[in-house]
Amino acid sequence: MTSGHLAPSPEPLPPGPQLDTARSLAFRFLIASTVILGAAGILGLILRDSQAGAGRLPDGWWYAIMTAHGLGAFVGWAAFAVMGLSYWVLAQVGFPVRPAGLVLARLTWWLMVVGVAGVVVTCVAFRYGGSWVFLYPISFYGSGQWGRWTSFFFSASVLLAGLSIVTWCLSVLHTVLGPALHAVERNILNRIGVAMGFGYLAPSRFATNPRPVPYPVLPLTVIALDMIVATLPLAVLLVEMMVQSLSPSVHVDPLLAKNVLWFFGHPVVYLLLFPAVAIYYLLVPRFAGRPLVAGNIIAVAWAIAVTANVIIWAHHIYLDYPSGSPQAAIDVTMEPLTFSVTIVSALSLYSLFFTIFRSRYPWNAASTALFLGLASWMIAGFSGIVNATIAFDQIIHNTLWIVGHFHQMAFLGIGFTIIAATYAWLPEWTGKPLYSETLGRWHVWLTFVFTMAATAIWMYQGLLGGPRRFAVLPNRYDAATQLAVPISLLIGAAQLLFAWNVVQTLRGKGVGRVARADLASPRAIAIGIAALAAASLGGWGVYRSQARSAGPATPTAPVSGALAAGKRVFLTSGCSGCHTLASAGATGTVGPNLDQTKPSVARVVQFVTNGKKTMPSFRSTLTPTQIQDVAAFVSRTAGTK
Amino acid sequence: MGTTATILSISFTITCAVGIAFVLYIARSTRQRGALEPDRASLAEREKAWFVVVTAVLVALLVATIWFTPYGRSESANATVLKIRSIQFAWLIPNTRIEAGRPIEFELTSDDVNHDFAVYTMSGTLLFEVQVMPGYTTRYSYTFKRPGTYRVLCLEYCGVGHAQMQDTLTVSA
Repeated sequence: MTSGHLAPSPEPLPPGPQLDTARSLAFRFLIASTVILGAAGILGLILRDSQAGAGRLPDGWWYAIMTAHGLGAFVGWAAFAVMGLSYWVLAQVGFPVRPAGLVLARLTWWLMVVGVAGVVVTCVAFRYGGSWVFLYPISFYGSGQWGRWTSFFFSASVLLAGLSIVTWCLSVLHTVLGPALHAVERNILNRIGVAMGFGYLAPSRFATNPRPVPYPVLPLTVIALDMIVATLPLAVLLVEMMVQSLSPSVHVDPLLAKNVLWFFGHPVVYLLLFPAVAIYYLLVPRFAGRPLVAGNIIAVAWAIAVTANVIIWAHHIYLDYPSGSPQAAIDVTMEPLTFSVTIVSALSLYSLFFTIFRSRYPWNAASTALFLGLASWMIAGFSGIVNATIAFDQIIHNTLWIVGHFHQMAFLGIGFTIIAATYAWLPEWTGKPLYSETLGRWHVWLTFVFTMAATAIWMYQGLLGGPRRFAVLPNRYDAATQLAVPISLLIGAAQLLFAWNVVQTLRGKGVGRVARADLASPRAIAIGIAALAAASLGGWGVYRSQARSAGPATPTAPVSGALAAGKRVFLTSGCSGCHTLASAGATGTVGPNLDQTKPSVARVVQFVTNGKKTMPSFRSTLTPTQIQDVAAFVSRTAGTK
Repeated sequence: MGTTATILSISFTITCAVGIAFVLYIARSTRQRGALEPDRASLAEREKAWFVVVTAVLVALLVATIWFTPYGRSESANATVLKIRSIQFAWLIPNTRIEAGRPIEFELTSDDVNHDFAVYTMSGTLLFEVQVMPGYTTRYSYTFKRPGTYRVLCLEYCGVGHAQMQDTLTVSA
């Protein structure tokens, strides 16, 4: 087989127990992950609306919810869903899950469900707020909000989710390297080469008979190999964190830990993307009614992917370069390596778009979601290249730009394959027709337009230096954040259409009717979206003009001369980070509430000078006069407002 | 918005516009009834040309930007050394005089978790940011052009008081 573009469309498994197994696996994964999407999505709405001042959460709660939202949406929804759909994709190209693979697949489901539940409980009930990257050693610095047992159970929960990824990889490798591969050689390395598509480059060395390896198998093999390599070091770090929770004298080097985290953290992005690519490779040719347009060069792309994926992690830590470490050299080396994985996406997008080119591609809910997913993948790829460029990263690192980039990629570029798969396959799996094609199209278009708008706002705020992971943003970002409120609510409302459609389909309420032309035409949807966008903008404009005429919400009371110096010290030395003091507008909850404890001047001087427990000593940074000033200010004004 | 951010905004917008135009072209092509069926074999062959184009663009981007890294910017002979300790949730900035036009060598350390020392103008332009890691010292050299007050934020999530970890730097003439 030498000409990739002549490869026939692969045959699915025939009806029977093997197909039933794949169906029930995919269905179980999809239902569980969609439930997690619902929960994680609500948490996301709460976060963004709180930032805008609509139902403001206490900071500690905000960060705990941020942690649950990130891990829940990324791993519990997107990764979990595409992992399950992979079994169905493999069945559709003739690869059955065999008994050992099935045991591993079921174990994967349970490990993930228990792991994600553990994460949600430790975050939402026990307020673990280390963020979803739990950057070592933050788990052990909970500032009184969470303690070592919470860290222990959080690490254990993430470890279960990590092990779930490993068992999934093993089940996928067991499936793709089985007899369905039709490899001529029995040698395992040769079979792995075949499954990665090397036969498209060297047909005699990596021979198959009678048919070449189907394209969707390539990305699944690549990610199954990489995630085993990437997850094991993180598993060791998580075990270390569990041990450290119980015995604090144990610790590891923070720079090493950061590299280990991102050695996993980069490939886990592709744990979402590569199975999504397999779905694109399968579904786009089906909708277009012709085989995938792919030259043999596609095998080169996946050979780059399998290697580069595990040697480009440092693009997440370009701005870490402590003196005396080799990190700067690693960072620079990994920029061109990171660029090289762009080629994989560029070639895949070429193949997929030109498969659609001048085909009779339909525009139903499923195929529209798939097409818009491709478009989002391309746009998010552009900002990905920006992030991979050190010169640009210096001004967008840890800003809201990054938040915009990954929501575009994960929620649209990958999420739309999950949504397309749901619309395309749920009726097939359940034998019940889709409840409403009309609702489906509205859901897809509303999600696309308003998520693009929401991500554009984040990216714009990021270009203006807007920091990510701030419970309360500096107020110059307020205008754009407030515009995000109606938009985020519209995204949430669109998902209610999706949920309703799925529930009604499962209840057998669909009658297999086609879309109502008057309600689901491009014109009707365009008018609806324009009206909603105008309403959002209008509401935002009215709110802004009212807020402006009302003036600043909390005018600061003038403080007499001597106390003003103390207040300045209080505000500029980080006191408000931990303490509540109404006269300074401070709302920290880490240390004692000064309005309640009303400390004497001597007591404040004593603590500020010498420190106490987690409170640092300020002896080397404040002059004795400054300490006297701040002590006088705190003592005189505590509890007065 | 600083110079880099402006360059980025413009080039990114143009790139997205080109990408969107391409997507619309593909989408419209599916509605042209009776159009010529494309030659899939030649489209697959042209993928090799696309591979070359993509590689060339990436190499060009790399060559154009790789010179602008923050690494190794330090050790200026007449620099003022400013040792800044970071703790949850404050920057402990010494009262050293910072002069406009004179290089400042920041020596950044952390007592507890990872932080990110970010300096903004009061109007909100991000001038630079540097990650700070416990157990290590990170050096960064910067020369303030204008006297005045600058805002310091922490850009690495460092715990429940992260957003309050703010301070100012005063640069004198």
